[in-house]
Amino acid sequence: MSTAPWVGQSLPRKEDRRLLTGEGQFVSDIVLPFMLEAAFLRSPHAHARILAIDTRAAAALPGVVAVRTGADFAALGPILSDLSVPNLPGVTQRPVFGPMPVDEVLYAGDLVAVVVAKNRYVAEDALQLIRVDYEPLPALLDPELALAPDAPRVYPEWRDNLVYAQEFRHGDAAAAFAQADVIVAERFRGHRCGATPMEPRATLASYTRAQGLTLWLTTQRSHIKRHLLGEYFKMPDSRIRVIAPPDVGGGFGVKAPLYREDLVICQLAMTLGKSVRWIENRQENLANIGQERDQIHDLELALRRDGRILGLRDRMLADCGDARVPIYVSFSMPWLGAMYLTNGYDIPNLEIDLKCVVTHKAGLTPSRAFGSFVPRFAIDRIVDIAARRLGLDPLAMREINLIKTFPHDTATGVHCDSGDFVGALAKASAAIGYADFRRAQTAARAEGRYVGVGFSLGIEFSGLPSQILVPMERQPGFGVASIKLDADGGVQLAHGDQAQGQGHDTTLSQVVADELGVTPEDVKVTAGDTQSSPFAAGTLASRMGGYTLSAALFAARGLKPKLAAIAAHLLQLPLGEVGDFEFAGGYVFPLGDPARRISLARIAETAFLAPTELPPGMEGGLEFTAHFEAATSGMQSTNVHVASVEVFPETGRVKILRYVAVDDAGMAVNPMLVRGQIHGGVALGISNAFQEEFLYDAQGRQTTDTLQNYLIAAAGDLPHIEVIEHHVPSPHTPLGSKGKGEGPTGMAPGALGNAIEDALSPLGVTLTQMPFTPERIWRLVAQAAGRGQE
Amino acid sequence: MNRAITVRVNGTLHHETVDHRLLLSDFLRETLGLTGTHVGCGYEGRCGVCTVVYEGVAIKSCLMLAVQADGAAVLSVEGLARGEELHPLQRAMHDCHGLQCGFCTPGFLLTMYEFLKTPVSDPNTIRAAMNGVLCRCTGYVHIVAAVEQAARELAQMDPDERARWFPL
Ligand code: FES
Ligand code: FES
Repeated sequence: MSTAPWVGQSLPRKEDRRLLTGEGQFVSDIVLPFMLEAAFLRSPHAHARILAIDTRAAAALPGVVAVRTGADFAALGPILSDLSVPNLPGVTQRPVFGPMPVDEVLYAGDLVAVVVAKNRYVAEDALQLIRVDYEPLPALLDPELALAPDAPRVYPEWRDNLVYAQEFRHGDAAAAFAQADVIVAERFRGHRCGATPMEPRATLASYTRAQGLTLWLTTQRSHIKRHLLGEYFKMPDSRIRVIAPPDVGGGFGVKAPLYREDLVICQLAMTLGKSVRWIENRQENLANIGQERDQIHDLELALRRDGRILGLRDRMLADCGDARVPIYVSFSMPWLGAMYLTNGYDIPNLEIDLKCVVTHKAGLTPSRAFGSFVPRFAIDRIVDIAARRLGLDPLAMREINLIKTFPHDTATGVHCDSGDFVGALAKASAAIGYADFRRAQTAARAEGRYVGVGFSLGIEFSGLPSQILVPMERQPGFGVASIKLDADGGVQLAHGDQAQGQGHDTTLSQVVADELGVTPEDVKVTAGDTQSSPFAAGTLASRMGGYTLSAALFAARGLKPKLAAIAAHLLQLPLGEVGDFEFAGGYVFPLGDPARRISLARIAETAFLAPTELPPGMEGGLEFTAHFEAATSGMQSTNVHVASVEVFPETGRVKILRYVAVDDAGMAVNPMLVRGQIHGGVALGISNAFQEEFLYDAQGRQTTDTLQNYLIAAAGDLPHIEVIEHHVPSPHTPLGSKGKGEGPTGMAPGALGNAIEDALSPLGVTLTQMPFTPERIWRLVAQAAGRGQE
Repeated sequence: MNRAITVRVNGTLHHETVDHRLLLSDFLRETLGLTGTHVGCGYEGRCGVCTVVYEGVAIKSCLMLAVQADGAAVLSVEGLARGEELHPLQRAMHDCHGLQCGFCTPGFLLTMYEFLKTPVSDPNTIRAAMNGVLCRCTGYVHIVAAVEQAARELAQMDPDERARWFPL
């Protein structure tokens, strides 16, 4: 049995038991009386005009309650408003669209019709009976072609196909390139892939005149969605309740946007006066959401002969698909990717030209690593390529160029409050046994074996402060938590960051338990229901560890003076400072005098049931709410990953020998949970980098619409992931804690890409593209061999 | 078209009349209300989160019809614990932080239930045995550790006690 202090202990989670025994509650587990089920008909074409839709046979099928098409939702009007479009400094154009297209579909998977029936089986039968006349139109699929001045417009009313463009300038890049001894230029191509949680989306809406609209949603941000729904349906927020249930099966950003399907389901519930549920199937999930990382970088570094990077230029192009993704409009990811492009490297002079185009593909939706997956790959790769060109060791190259002192502002304006790359890199190279590895590599090469090692650096946000999140998403960066005591002394904590598996209940309970002198089991944590949790932006950008956790701590701390005052009064002691009292074991007592103690239960009972016994003039009740905004424009963690691989040139297969993550969480409230976040993050990165890719055929139909061909890594595809903690406490949070979750994913492609190229360096291969499939590696080896023979 | 079937689920006999085409996963979830069995792909048979033990063998319940289970015995995640006492594998998953969102967890529990009937604690063998279930949260590291722990514990148990943890 463990004892306080709870913070810092690897406690097993409070969330586990229900999930281990089948008592979890996911949206798809909720059943309401007389609930109906919806299913969507989706476009098989990437671009087509809808000439006619005949729904009569579908509507006549027994068990079908309603069949609706775009025309039925047209009166609702366009979805995007100033509340749901990023307000970033570049040039934006806004797609105008409603919940369902009326006469033109813009990607394969786009919505065409919806059936509501007594169950999913009947609804799917009815989909087969809907007849749609399409006139297929040419599809614009290549982002570079979309840039051409004479390219057809995805949105005819736009000037061009740019949904967003921005030029980042800092220092004097032209001078840096003019002075350079060496210029290294490469094109890095990201591929479409993303997070794809194991639980697809699910939406359940019910409406009564008395209660208004209640919506159960697989979402990371119930408050934001409620507010957007209120605006869209012209209803006061008070008439809407959005509930993310206690269990959501993974989010990773994919469950952050408001989706058109949600609006359709709400409207159906309101017009039919029935509860309507939609559970997304995997096919529609893969065709519509979870696609990110579709970027091309033409990246150049200006270098001095000694390895110092003088400047950087990047022409960055993102294929945003149709961009009809409220809140993000598919360009806030590439924008943040550009902001973080220099990553852990100190590069004083730069020019980045970011262009985000629309095409006839699914819109980009956020996915863990948020826009940075490809930028990280590109920068870590080009540093290695430059090192090889200069005859320098890649480790030395990093030591020369990494950010050495903190706080530091990057050339794109990212403020880095704290960190330690020097120490983390030293730990990583020690862990992999760098010098020994190089010796072993030489010996292996002599035997015809190809082994290699690679590093990646990561500067990762720990929440986004309001200064960034307000322009980016029109949302607050603060963390919020409300604490109140029950009449029996039990502790209730409500906060704004509902979890999708991260273990927030456990972590927050540990923090609150220490502050109030109770056990984590005594703390009941709730989130996700707009009726009972305080307003916050929701779970995103690794906010919990830095922001919400600090809010919970301050909420508990904020309650203590009143608890102490009541304790003093009941103990007939003179009222001192709160610091004169200790909170431990469920009791409050004067410092060092546990004999004179009074229980929290007694204090609570007094505050709620016997206010006459409170100190004169004191109000009844016990609650406190804290909003935490860090006094910094950017809280970051600094991380270094290193991987070693063996490559088999004759097949192109790569075997990951070791993967070591040196990660900074400021301080780990629960080290086991922090490790879990790192494992999962890295695994996603490896899976993306090696085997996942959303593929479209020449007509723009997606060919990867099942998990049989969109290949998520299984256990046997992945290595053991080693984690070394290297915490640098943040000066801006009370515990020094930082977030952990978003970052580790983006570390994998750089470290592994570098290791693969290092392994193959005797063959002269340059690796600039993912996924690292055996075919790609094999072709690169074959091409290099062909060059060698010329 | 409907048919009357009898299926023993977690030791309890259920007599139900179901549509021929009803999937076993939907039978468990929607007909019996045993929502611990999840559906992550559905008739693709890849994600494995719908895995249950059918006549002693781990199978994907989205790939089978309820009528095919007529007369058979099925074990789902709801049937693993003995009263309040968790199955050694459930406990190990808790101890080792083998689950995050928990959506895949029933699939791993039931898949590795079959594997652990003859407990092997070698991590590579465990990894290979888990390939039929996908997890997006954990990177599998802690799941492997949990299965190792459960395997060690079960291997040390006396055979009768061990057998009690494997009713099917
Ligand atoms: S739901 Fe059965 S394998 Fe995915
Ligand atoms: S714990 Fe979330 S998918 Fe495995």
